[in-house]
Amino acid sequence: MTTVLDRPPALRRVRARWGWGVGALALVLWSLAGAGAFAGEVVNPAGTAQFGRFAAAALSPALDGDFLRVLAGSVLVTVAYAALGAALAVLLGAVGAVALARTTWGRRRLGWTLARGALAVPRGLHEAVWGLLLVNLLGLDPWVGVLAIGIPYGAVTAKVFADLLDEVPRGAYDALLGAGAGRATAALYGLLPPASGGLLSYSFYRLECAVRSAVVLGLIGAGGLGYQLSLSFSSLRWAQVWSCVYALALLCLAADVGGRAVRRRVAAPRASGDRLRRDPSLSTAVAVVLVGVVWSWWYLAISPATLVSDRTGAQLRYVLSAAWPPDVDGPLLSAVGRAAVDTVQMSVIAIAVATVGAVLLAGLAARPAQASAGRRLVGAVVRLGLLLLRAVPPPVWALVLLFVLLPGVLPGALALGVYTLGVLGRLAAEATEELDPRPRAALTALGAGPVGGWLYGVLPAATGPVLAFALYRWEVAIRDTVLVGLLGAGGLGALLASRVAAFDWGAVTTVLAALVVLTAAVDLLSARARAALR
Amino acid sequence: MGASGAGKSTLLGLANGAVLPSAGSVRVLGADPAALRGRALRELRARVGTVHQHLELVGQLRVVHNVNAGRLSSWPAWRSAWSLARPQGLPEVLDALGRVGLADRVFERTERLSGGQRQRVAVARVLVQRPELVLADEPASALDPLLAGRTLELLAGLAADRGGALVASLHDPVLALRHCTRVVGLVDGRITLDAPAASLTAGDLADFYGAPR
Repeated sequence: MTTVLDRPPALRRVRARWGWGVGALALVLWSLAGAGAFAGEVVNPAGTAQFGRFAAAALSPALDGDFLRVLAGSVLVTVAYAALGAALAVLLGAVGAVALARTTWGRRRLGWTLARGALAVPRGLHEAVWGLLLVNLLGLDPWVGVLAIGIPYGAVTAKVFADLLDEVPRGAYDALLGAGAGRATAALYGLLPPASGGLLSYSFYRLECAVRSAVVLGLIGAGGLGYQLSLSFSSLRWAQVWSCVYALALLCLAADVGGRAVRRRVAAPRASGDRLRRDPSLSTAVAVVLVGVVWSWWYLAISPATLVSDRTGAQLRYVLSAAWPPDVDGPLLSAVGRAAVDTVQMSVIAIAVATVGAVLLAGLAARPAQASAGRRLVGAVVRLGLLLLRAVPPPVWALVLLFVLLPGVLPGALALGVYTLGVLGRLAAEATEELDPRPRAALTALGAGPVGGWLYGVLPAATGPVLAFALYRWEVAIRDTVLVGLLGAGGLGALLASRVAAFDWGAVTTVLAALVVLTAAVDLLSARARAALR
Repeated sequence: MGASGAGKSTLLGLANGAVLPSAGSVRVLGADPAALRGRALRELRARVGTVHQHLELVGQLRVVHNVNAGRLSSWPAWRSAWSLARPQGLPEVLDALGRVGLADRVFERTERLSGGQRQRVAVARVLVQRPELVLADEPASALDPLLAGRTLELLAGLAADRGGALVASLHDPVLALRHCTRVVGLVDGRITLDAPAASLTAGDLADFYGAPR
C-alpha cells in the first residue's frame, strides 16, 4: 500500500472559500481605514478621568429608596411595552403567516413572491426608526412604543410562522383535503398541531427580544428603563447609570432564562399518558403572559381612539403627501451615498471585532464536560461578562466609549462590536459545547498542550458554525448601526434623524429607501457567503 | 479480544490516561498517569500513541494537519499555530502517509476521505508521533483483510523500533493469531484468557467467543 511520489502535491486552496476569505479581509481593512483607525488620532486622553469616575461607580450603584422606586416604575413600563409589542407582533404574525405561506398560494408563485417582497420594508427598518416616524404621526403616545416593536417584529414573525407551517409534512393535510375537509379545517387539524410547538417557542423568543427593543426605544424617548438610563447619563450621575445597567442586565437575564426554559420545555414535552392534560408549567407561562398583556394595556393607559382620531388621520395624510415623491437632488443623493458607506463600514468593524472576540472567548465560555473548580469559575465569570455586554444596548456602549475615543464612526462601530460580542460569544460557546469532544480528547491523550489542542481539535470544527453566526449577526448589525447612528454616531441613522428633525419628508423617504435597499443587499450577501461556507 | 462492552476500550483508555481508575492504580511505561500533572503528564502521554476508529480526526482539517497533530506534544504553541498556515515538517508527513499509501492526498480535507482512508490517516498520525507504546482500538475494522494486516505490521514495527509494544483490540481471531505474540481475552471487564498466540488455534478463540457469559 506504499505510495511513492516524484514530487509532493501542491497545496491547493478551494477557490470559492479563498475568494470569500480574501474579500472579507479586504472589506474589514477598508472599513478600518474608512473609520480612521489607522489615522492615529482616535484616543481622547482628556476623557480618561471621567471614564475612571464612571468605572469606579460600578461598585457603588445608587440604591436609595427614591431612586429604586423610580427604577421599579421604569422596569414596569419597559416590561409593559415589551409585552404589548410582542403580543401585537404575534397577532400580526399569525395573520401575516396565512398571507405568506406557500400553502395559501399553492402554485401561484408571483403572488407568493410579491407577498414576501412586501415584507422587506417593515423588516428592513429598525424599531427605533419606526419609533422616530411614529412619534411624528402620533405625538408622544404609548402607541408609539407598542407599534414600533409590533410592526417590524410582526413582519419577521409572519415570515417565521409561514416557514414553520410550510415545513410541516403535507401527508395529514392532503389526507384531510382528500376526505372533503375545507382548506381552513384541514389546516387547523393537519398543519397547526405539528407546528404549534415551534410557533409557541418562537413567540416566547420574540418576547425576549422585545424586552431589549423596549429598552432601546426608551433611549429615544419612549419612557421606561432606557429613558431613565439616558437621563442619568446626561446628568452625569454614574451611580444611577450603573443601577440602571444592573436592572437592565437582570431584566435581560430573566427574559433570557425564562424564554429558554419555556423553549426547552416545548422541545421536550412531558408524557401525558392517557389523560387529557396540558403541561402545567407551560400553561402557567402562557397564562402569565396573557395576564401581563392585559395588565400592560391598563398600565400604559392605551386608548384605541388615538389611532383613529381626526388629528392622527390629518397628520398621516400630510406626511404621506409631503413624503412623495422622494427627494432625488444631487447633494442629498451624494450625502446618502457617503452615509451608506459609513453605515456599512461601522457594521463590518462591529462584526469583525465581535467575531474575533467570540472565537477567543468561546472555549472559556463553553461548559466543559468535566472541569476543575477554578475552570468552572472562569467560565461562569466569562459568561456573566458576555451577558452584561449584551444587556447594555449599543447606544449606551457608544456613550461609554466616547469618554476615551474621539467622536466619529469608530466609537459607534466599537460599541456595536462590544454588544454583538455579547451575543456572538454565547452562540459560539454553545456551538463549541455541541462539538464532538473526541478529537480534542485524543489530542490531550497524545500529550498536546491546551493551545495546541484548541488549535487542532476545536478551532477548525468551530470555525464554520461561528462564521455562519457572524454573517447572520451582520444582517442584524446593519439594522443596529442605524440605531447607533440615530443617536449621533453617523451613517444613515444620523442622516435620517437630521432629516426627520427638519420635517424634510421627501428626503426621509429617500433615506428610508436607501436603508431598505442596503439591508436587503447585506442579507443577500450574507446568505451567499453562508452558502459558500457549507 | 472480547465481545463489545467487555471493556477493551476502557482498558486502552486506562493505558493512555484518558480514563482514570476508580480503584487501584495503573503503571504505564513505569509511571502512574493519575499521579502526574502538567508538563510531566504531557511528556508521558507523548510516549503513548493511540489509534482510535478514526473518530479522533477533525474532518474540517486537511490531512497534513491531522497527521501533524501527532507532534503537538513536542511543538511550542507558536509552531502549532504557524503550521496551520504553512505546514511544518512536510517530509516526515509525506513519508508517514506514503507508508499507509495516502501520500497523494496530503492536502485533501479529511472529511472527503472514505472511512478506511481516514483510518490510515489516524495510523500516519501515530507514525509521526513515534511513541514507545502503541495502543490501537479496532485498527482494522474499516479495512480490507490485506490492508488490515499491513496496518498491524506497520504499528507493531513502529513500537518495536522504539523498544516498546503494540496493544491492539481486535475482532478477527485470524488477525490476532497472525500478528500478535500474546492474546488476552476479556469478559465483563475480567481477564478470562491470557496465552501466547503460538499456543492457540483459531478454534480456541472461536470457543472463547462462544463461551457463556
